[in-house]
Amino acid sequence: MGTTASHLDKEALSEYQVNVLHKLLKKKSCAHRKFRELQNKEERSNTTSRVPMERINELPELKSNPFKERICHVFSTSENKDGSLTFEDFLDLLSAFSDSATLEIKSHYAFRIFDFDDDGTLDYDDLKKLVNCLTGESEDTRLNDDEMKQLITNILEESDIDKDGTVNLSEFQHVISRSPDFVSSFKIVL
Amino acid sequence: MEDHKTVQFMRLLSEDSIGSTLSSDSCEYYQTEIYDLLPSVQAVRSLHGGYDTQESHGGPEPEESRGPRDKMSQHPLRNLAMSMHGKRDARERRKMQISNNGFIKSWSRSQSINRKRIQAQVREMGFSLLPWRHILLKIQARFGVGVKSYFVFLRYLICLNLLHCALIGGFILGPTAFYGRNRTESLRFNKNDSVLDFFLGSGFLDRSPVFIGFYTPGSLDLSCLNTPLLYLAGILSIFAFSLIIAARRTTVGYKHTWMLEKRTSVNVSFKIFCGWDFNIQDPAAAMLKHSFIRNDLKLFLEEQSFSLRKAQRTLGQKVRLYLLRFILNLVVLSLLGGAFYLIYFSTMLSLTESSDGWFLNLVLQYLSPITITFVNLILPHMFRKVSSFEDYSLTVQVNATLVRSIFLKLASLGIYLFFVFKTRQTQQEKSGCRENQLGREMYKLCIFNFIATFCSTFFVNYPRKLLQEMYPTSLLARLLGKQRFLIPFNVLDLVYVQTVSWVGVYYCPLLPLIGVVTLVATFYIKKFSVLRCCVAEQRMFRASNSSVLFHFMLLLGLLMAAAAPVLDYYQSKQPNTISRISCGPFLNQESVFNVTNKCVKRLPSSAQTAIRYLSSEAFALPLLLAEIILLTSYVSRGRANQRAIERLKDMLVMCSSDKRYLVKQHATMLRGQKNAKRGRPVAVEQKTPLPSHLAAD
Repeated sequence: MGTTASHLDKEALSEYQVNVLHKLLKKKSCAHRKFRELQNKEERSNTTSRVPMERINELPELKSNPFKERICHVFSTSENKDGSLTFEDFLDLLSAFSDSATLEIKSHYAFRIFDFDDDGTLDYDDLKKLVNCLTGESEDTRLNDDEMKQLITNILEESDIDKDGTVNLSEFQHVISRSPDFVSSFKIVL
Repeated sequence: MEDHKTVQFMRLLSEDSIGSTLSSDSCEYYQTEIYDLLPSVQAVRSLHGGYDTQESHGGPEPEESRGPRDKMSQHPLRNLAMSMHGKRDARERRKMQISNNGFIKSWSRSQSINRKRIQAQVREMGFSLLPWRHILLKIQARFGVGVKSYFVFLRYLICLNLLHCALIGGFILGPTAFYGRNRTESLRFNKNDSVLDFFLGSGFLDRSPVFIGFYTPGSLDLSCLNTPLLYLAGILSIFAFSLIIAARRTTVGYKHTWMLEKRTSVNVSFKIFCGWDFNIQDPAAAMLKHSFIRNDLKLFLEEQSFSLRKAQRTLGQKVRLYLLRFILNLVVLSLLGGAFYLIYFSTMLSLTESSDGWFLNLVLQYLSPITITFVNLILPHMFRKVSSFEDYSLTVQVNATLVRSIFLKLASLGIYLFFVFKTRQTQQEKSGCRENQLGREMYKLCIFNFIATFCSTFFVNYPRKLLQEMYPTSLLARLLGKQRFLIPFNVLDLVYVQTVSWVGVYYCPLLPLIGVVTLVATFYIKKFSVLRCCVAEQRMFRASNSSVLFHFMLLLGLLMAAAAPVLDYYQSKQPNTISRISCGPFLNQESVFNVTNKCVKRLPSSAQTAIRYLSSEAFALPLLLAEIILLTSYVSRGRANQRAIERLKDMLVMCSSDKRYLVKQHATMLRGQKNAKRGRPVAVEQKTPLPSHLAAD
């Protein structure tokens, strides 16, 4: 795996959902250029170098996204869980958010993004954090405790099919699979 | 539909039994040893020999090696949710597998992969052919999916009209151009023609191929292949095509909404899980989205407490409320009545011939389109105000306004048509062609609507925006407020234009072409208006919800459009009117029935009897019966499926509670024995047994 796009062999490329990206890579690599812009000079020479999360989040595509830190954590393969990304991880991210990724892939990654404590289920605290991310983090934009409680009770009532107090991946996908809007909104285009 | 969906439901569950093992689990009961002893876990594990649990570092790699091989290897790699690293490993493994297979097998595999790849590329090419993708992306990034759905709908209408143009070209224009008589003299500009004719549809345009009068029966005069028949076929195929497309779209959308709302209300979950639009890049838009979601959630909570309050209303309050609603509905009705009278009045006025000055004439000619547009502009806003007094919940308010507006829009068009038909009949025509006059009315409506769109953007919205930018603190600017892009009303406009185009296509075959031109222009005007003048609105329309409504309205318009010419035809056939069809392909004695009859008579006798039978009542009965049987079977199948779903859900609940109970028991037992052994390291099955049990059941 070299530093330039041409080193990615074709066979490997075709495995990504990034059809758009695929084209871009042929055109001297938009994604790669973007990624290189984030890297330092010494990092550029190193193929497996990681870009820290803070710099990834500077990208305009992610900047205003409330889930940007979670996204980095989910796609990072770093061992010390700091959310830093290699170029490969970056491609993974783009392919999951691309046009041609299937509903299943998207819902899978969405679940992992929403699962704040990485325990494989969305429990009360995950949902609370999720709602707070959606409404805005600051004190005056948050829902108050009563509202939050009522809301989460409603969510669990609807989507917690096996009534164990958490939403697991299959229940999550069950909800998502019936939303026609999800595929079009779970998308990041460079 | 029904059972397909159920299958998918099951599939999701069973697939999840393979895929949900993404990470280590903190819930204590998953870490007990009993999980390894469960038969379902062992069944899954035995499918692949030595996978190494240590190999995974929290990533999703193990799950692909865990699934049943044959099933997973069917999927293209790119459809698996795993990282690049994992994919590369998987590919290596697959290659090994392939090389183990015979030559032919591996060859056919690689062929099928290539074919899939080509298919995907072709599909993508098709998508990239659709125009304006970048504009749509830009709009979506700033205003979200709702506003984009308006533009997608607009693009869809343009495609539809292009299709109509192709049909018209093939059935009507082509044969006429090829076989028609030498009619170039009518296409020349006379000295008493003026530019005004393009607005009025008279004079020069009256003689041109725009209107039905141009298409007289040509030299192509075989009994089954003549101009009238082709004309008829063209119009009918347009209606049939539109009906099929609109109905298909409506049912697809309806299915989604039905699944969404009726049976399983998962509204809040949608708002949460699908709430964020990841396309948004603009920080301001993100702020807006935050506040929108917040308002939406608060609205939902409010509505919940509203329904609580509604249940607690006393009798007196109820009576007062219903009285108020009754009065307000009367107000709405009287508003509608007044609007219709205004339309009637203006139609009558525009029919009185006058010849003082071209400007007055123009205004007079355009009086009814002006009235209709004006009414349609004012009344929806009044309805909005009215419905805010009725003590409905907010969504009901919006819907009530929308339904009233739809009714207003379509009914005003209907009323207008009715009066035009009627008055044209009583007033024996001086100017020759009656059909041309009807076509002219539709032409004028179409043109005027476009002019109104143009003017409202460039002479109302844009100056307003400029005023706000230059004097943001002035009283006027604050009074006017911010402009929002009201999707429902804009869509109503589009549906209205399309309905006019459908109504008029019989009398004015080039209307679809005009429609394409005006719609393309509308696209750019609206794009300008959205990006330059509007701020994103607080309440967004959910795209899927709206699309079913859009297409349903389109369907209504189409039905009305189909009814209009038929009505007109029967009216003109009434014995007390002397008016005869005086121009167009159906000259004098030639009517639609005559033409087709002649054609049928020339067919071989067996075909004749077949057609007779198909058009008789004897055929209608079996058809109806067959439809009823089909419907009944679908409905009963749907019910059975629903019951199955309920049962499965119950089972799921039972299973999971059983499991939790058992695991807890076991854990306490183990703890009691002071067994120091901790559970397995990571990534042990969590919920896998559940669905697989179910599937086994």
